[in-house]
Amino acid sequence: MAACAALVGLCICGRASANPLDDGAERYRSITIESIGQALDGARALRDRVAANDLAGARQAWIAARAGWERSEVFTAGLAPELDALIDAWPNATSGFHTVEARLFGAGNIDVGPDADALVAHLDELHHRLHSMRLPAQGLLAGTVRLAYEVGESKADGGESRISGTSLDDMRNNVVGIGLAYQTIFAEQLRATDPARAAIVADRIARLKAVVAVSDLPHVDVRRLRQASEELAVALQDAAGKLSLQRPTLEAQAQ
Amino acid sequence: MISSRIAAAGLLWTALLVGDGANAFPVDGDQTTLPPRTELNEDALDKPREVFRSETSGGKSYLISLGNLAFSSPSILGGVARQAGISCATCHVNGGGNAKFFMPKMSTRPGNFDTTGPLFNPNADNFMLDPVRIPSLRGARYLAPYGVDGRMPSLRDFVRNVIVNEFSGPEPSAAIVDAIVAYIQDIDFLANPNLGPAGRLVGKISERERRGEALFKKPFPHDPQLSCAGCHAPSGAFTDHQQHDVGSGGLFKTPTLRNADFNAPYFHDGRYDSYDQVVAHFDRVFSLGLSDGDRKDLVAYLTAIGDGAQPYEREGAGASLKEVDDFASVLAVAIPAGDKETVSLAVDTIGSELRELTERYPDRKNTSVSGGEQQRTIARAVLKDVVLILRRIDIAVAEGRSDDAMAEFKSYRQLMVAAVPSLLAAAEPWSLFNPVVHDSHYQALREVMQSRHLSH
Repeated sequence: MAACAALVGLCICGRASANPLDDGAERYRSITIESIGQALDGARALRDRVAANDLAGARQAWIAARAGWERSEVFTAGLAPELDALIDAWPNATSGFHTVEARLFGAGNIDVGPDADALVAHLDELHHRLHSMRLPAQGLLAGTVRLAYEVGESKADGGESRISGTSLDDMRNNVVGIGLAYQTIFAEQLRATDPARAAIVADRIARLKAVVAVSDLPHVDVRRLRQASEELAVALQDAAGKLSLQRPTLEAQAQ
Repeated sequence: MISSRIAAAGLLWTALLVGDGANAFPVDGDQTTLPPRTELNEDALDKPREVFRSETSGGKSYLISLGNLAFSSPSILGGVARQAGISCATCHVNGGGNAKFFMPKMSTRPGNFDTTGPLFNPNADNFMLDPVRIPSLRGARYLAPYGVDGRMPSLRDFVRNVIVNEFSGPEPSAAIVDAIVAYIQDIDFLANPNLGPAGRLVGKISERERRGEALFKKPFPHDPQLSCAGCHAPSGAFTDHQQHDVGSGGLFKTPTLRNADFNAPYFHDGRYDSYDQVVAHFDRVFSLGLSDGDRKDLVAYLTAIGDGAQPYEREGAGASLKEVDDFASVLAVAIPAGDKETVSLAVDTIGSELRELTERYPDRKNTSVSGGEQQRTIARAVLKDVVLILRRIDIAVAEGRSDDAMAEFKSYRQLMVAAVPSLLAAAEPWSLFNPVVHDSHYQALREVMQSRHLSH
């Protein structure tokens, strides 16, 4: 019986790597696929609504696509920078979310067929790549830290998606993305190596989440937002050593 | 994710010196803290040059640097201003004015602002749109009493009133008010080589200026006890520190004419753009009977006495880092003292400045800028690193770990002495400090934001 249990254990562990973070990153893969899948579904719906000349429906689909994308920003800039730049370029991009946003929500112009096609193509390529893309823990921690920092930018002017008025949604989805990445990849290992630090990171994520849990963008306390964002970034940077990782830099390609 | 404040505030780039008439959407959308189309002019490439008395007397004291810091910090003001990132320095840029500042419902023209309007402190709302000119603070220590109507003899009382009543801020500590007063009193007039003792014109004086000087001192024909110089006393910073009714709707304090070339718009409510209009007003109200030539002579004289050396300086990373360095000098005192409040104020303010500076180096998703991607990325990364070092200082001081905070401060200093300036310099050609990149960036933003208004 004992031998059998040992065998079962071996079988279970047989798919695990030597580094628990790699296991976490593999678990995270399904989340990345799901999030980009949501963005892709939204973009396809956008394309359909555009073809049907349904402005309200197209706007709704854009918002749905955007939600999946914002949750994915933990990994998009670091792991697929060229697609990230195509999908999320601004201010005068020829394709991508913000080009479509300006037309749909700004001018009320539904003539975004080619842009919607391009968005679908880029998201589809990313979605496809995610099934086999290497997901290094170091890069994912860096992406998490960077996004935590970026959430702290002032939104006094209306924020990133100011034309559609969905900047607060962007921020909330960013924070959800941060929480998912941390919990799935790093939390267990950090709790094992430094429970106190793990508690600090969890607390910082909860605080950031609380700051953006307000009715609308003007009610986001910008000072608390910045503080919470930077304290989370610091806590995650400090966790790197305990996770046998290097302290992440704050810009992709600046390692 | 893109930033934000710089992107927005600078959607219109217009020079401080001359307006170019472009349309602006500096703050826009349905979810802005400030009224849509507010123009803060934060991205002007040329900013007023600031001259300090202390620079000629051994450097800034801790008190002056703390005052400069608080003056630049939204957190000393109330909710709306704090949320919008508005500080004293938003209107009084580098101690000068802000002729391009415009806030719908609070301004009637660029350069004025209703301090008793509904936005920042509804309790102080007088239910009238009665904006006042945003004044320069140069030479303020010579210019009591304070306020356009001269209602406050004390600068200290005036500063407190601005914070608490006009901008609904929490009651400031005595130390903060003292510091802001010390900072304001340290801001000097720009030197004017045209002016000699007792405010006389000296040097190479044109005939027109000389005739203007005579007219300036000449008694008014129908009120011989009055003259321009009677109120704008040349020996006293061109003011008599009194209130007068000059036909503009009430009693208002005599403004200084020193450095006034750069203080437009003129009059208490900023109704006039130019000296020509000001002189025409006095000619009309006081029946001076000036000829065209007389008016030109007076304008020439006003221009000569209102001049100042190097009134503007080109924005660059160097100027930003110098200001940040002044702010950070406060930490050298506040950290060892375990002064949590001051450390938080400094970390908050410096961090905001550095985040703003970061956005001068566009990220790689910015389609309006090409080239220098690696340099821009490195510049952004190092600035963000510095912001987080500051946050570590704040955390350490809050937890009573002053030694750790000082160690972090040492790291901060080391980075800021050499690495940061050189990395920013390397990226400068592709930054918004480059006028070509600047214009391309804001033109792109402007076009995108224009789309918002096509259907409205």
